[in-house]
Amino acid sequence: MKKFVVLQVCMLVLVSSLLGGMFAFTPVYNEVRSGIVLVLCLSCLKLEPKTAVTFTFDTTNNQPHPGFVLENLSHGPVFLHYSGNSCAGCDTMYPVIKDLFSINFGKQDMFHALVTFNNFTVAYIYVNVDSTIDELRDAQSIYDQTQFGSIPMFTIVTLGYDNGKVKPKYTTIYGTLTAFGCNTDAQRLVFLQQLVQESIQMYQENEAGYHHL
Amino acid sequence: MKLQIKRLISQIILFFSANLGYSKYPGLKTGFCYPFFYCQACPAATSACPLRSLEQSVDKGSFTWRLFLFPLLIIGFLGVLTGRAVCGWACPIGLLQRGTSHVARRFKKYPIVRKLGTYKGEKYFRYTKYFLLIGFVFVTSYLIGFIFTDLCPVGFLTGTIPILILNPGMFIPNYFFPVALVIFVLFFVLIFVIERGWCRYFCPVGALLGPFNKISFLHISVNTNNCTHCNVCSYVCPMAIDVPNMHRDPECILCGKCVTACPNGLITYERR
Repeated sequence: MKKFVVLQVCMLVLVSSLLGGMFAFTPVYNEVRSGIVLVLCLSCLKLEPKTAVTFTFDTTNNQPHPGFVLENLSHGPVFLHYSGNSCAGCDTMYPVIKDLFSINFGKQDMFHALVTFNNFTVAYIYVNVDSTIDELRDAQSIYDQTQFGSIPMFTIVTLGYDNGKVKPKYTTIYGTLTAFGCNTDAQRLVFLQQLVQESIQMYQENEAGYHHL
Repeated sequence: MKLQIKRLISQIILFFSANLGYSKYPGLKTGFCYPFFYCQACPAATSACPLRSLEQSVDKGSFTWRLFLFPLLIIGFLGVLTGRAVCGWACPIGLLQRGTSHVARRFKKYPIVRKLGTYKGEKYFRYTKYFLLIGFVFVTSYLIGFIFTDLCPVGFLTGTIPILILNPGMFIPNYFFPVALVIFVLFFVLIFVIERGWCRYFCPVGALLGPFNKISFLHISVNTNNCTHCNVCSYVCPMAIDVPNMHRDPECILCGKCVTACPNGLITYERR
């Protein structure tokens, strides 16, 4: 009986010290919070937001556009791609995006590239919410019109004319584009190509009046 | 206060504690994992589902030891202290099944249900939850990236349905929805037909907690020397355990129904 109690005490000491050690010396608490609790995986939810593809000037709570977006906007429209690990929807969209811009990168990496789309430069920024920096992660809430923090999420920031001033204008879409009638990779690709082309046209029309950073 | 009333209060308090994350009121979003089965996709969830963290730790051949150990240690800590009491005293899905148990008990009077309950293969069927845990949470996530949480009925109940209700017209189903809906309906039928059917056969978190019953400080003890084998304890047991012959059974959720029911007071909680 005494041996059993010793075993129990040893187990408790081992488990509690390991748990305490993880809290004290690893970033696991923040990883779980920012990578799981604050992120809504649309595949886990089994739903996709029903949004419209409309470009708008209004960011969530009128927050200013992040600096890295404004910097990249000097090159062309900015395509922000929010993704995550263990997300079936993200896995579906990952190869579509690679085809869209003819690029190659690791799903778990941060990635940024100036890509050429129909002879025009587009700034592509890939953000894996499980392994990224705060600046990129925080930008998600600025463009998240549903305010769910859901992934996968795609934002295209371009330029638009508003009351005599050219300003950044953006649209955000979510999930595997089921809401837009896209059920195959080919349909998703065509849909995104049209959207990027539209953003390029808007950029070209308004670029002359925009004061770059 | 009666033991079962105390347990109900505990379940209700912990249900509300698990749901303090609703946007800004109070909006508490922590970095903990629940020690029970509850989905972080719930609009009011405060913490992460332990299975989600485990899946993410082995996603497509990768291994993130922190996400792997963290939920196991949280469950292990409570498991060493109280065994599977978390299932009986804290789990919101346990609370739901407590509500459906009255209906499930009525089914017991049907011969076919009794026959199924006494079928000798029934005890082997209980290993399904270990198969689900290893096969669908770890192996498929590691090898092909297919993950349990995409089809999880608890996620459907606590995440999908509340979001659909709170945001009418804002969402449309994706390709996982039809399959998840079928599984959810089966889950719902199960908990109405078999008392604690989900805990008995399918809950992967129960599979994680169960083995801790073997070494936990808190456990149920039966004084077999004076037992009259009236079997009242086994009859009231929601997990259908042969209580007089159990010794630290991994299926026991320490709900205390047998403790209350024993006419001779021979079943007690012990703390070592």
